[in-house]
Amino acid sequence: MSGPQWVPTIDDSKVRDGAYVPVYPKGVGVLLVRTDGELFAIANKCGHMACPLEGGKLEGDVITCPCHDWRFNVRSGQFIDAPELSLDTFATRVEDGKVFVELKEA
Amino acid sequence: MTDDVWVYALSTCPWCRKTKQWFTDSKIAFEYVDVDTLPVDEQDEVAEKAYKLSGGRRFPVVVINGEVIVGHSPDKFLEHLKGWGG
Amino acid sequence: MGSAERKDSLRYLYERVVGPLGYKFTPDAELADFLLEQEVKLEQDHGAPYCPCQGRTGVRADDRAIVCPCIPFHREHFDKMKRCWCGLFVHTDVTDPDSLPQFPPDEG
Repeated sequence: MSGPQWVPTIDDSKVRDGAYVPVYPKGVGVLLVRTDGELFAIANKCGHMACPLEGGKLEGDVITCPCHDWRFNVRSGQFIDAPELSLDTFATRVEDGKVFVELKEA
Repeated sequence: MTDDVWVYALSTCPWCRKTKQWFTDSKIAFEYVDVDTLPVDEQDEVAEKAYKLSGGRRFPVVVINGEVIVGHSPDKFLEHLKGWGG
Repeated sequence: MGSAERKDSLRYLYERVVGPLGYKFTPDAELADFLLEQEVKLEQDHGAPYCPCQGRTGVRADDRAIVCPCIPFHREHFDKMKRCWCGLFVHTDVTDPDSLPQFPPDEG
């Protein structure tokens, strides 16, 4: 097992403001989300029943899972109705127009 | 003294079963309805009645002589049963 | 997925949710098994593993609050009872679930 690493995903321009795009750096399901111009990356798997979050509604900082409407803050990954539960979040950076996602271990 | 006892229940709920069992074991006559096993077109109407009585959607809803008790709660059942000094 | 497999997967999924909230499966294994069985059936018939002891209204915003584990949406009430409404989950320190009373949120 090696340490954290930055993995390239898609072009930054593909993540429009107020929208999200699912990506799979090294097979990990990640949702790239842009809200208020800021880019975030969260696990694309609901903390309730592991449903993919894609297809869910994004309103401001909050994404609602399409399966059973569990809501998460895309900045912190926190579940809105119980702060003890949260999704994994990933650091992002943009280099040469490409979004890189930091995976904790390879 | 005869008590008028109605139990609104769900067939999927073990506490509803316990409540019905409790009245049976206590030899107290009661009527009940398993809301979820009613014909589909009757379910909503009866469920709505139970929600109105109980102020929520929790089952069982027990009505003893007009008093509503929500949940399997033998102590509270006894309080409202005339035959038991309630 | 067969019903036994779905029961196992619900058990696995729920464990991860309720632990951080301070809850665990009821030590009454027979009760837990019965309730999970009902939830699998409810999921098959109605699309989600709804609480076996709460009724649906058909309004999505209402019904999402009774999809198991529904603890986050009834926290104060369940914390007071030290159990969830149907009794599938109890506070982690509970060893005798039968001793826990069931009462509505405005009592107790």
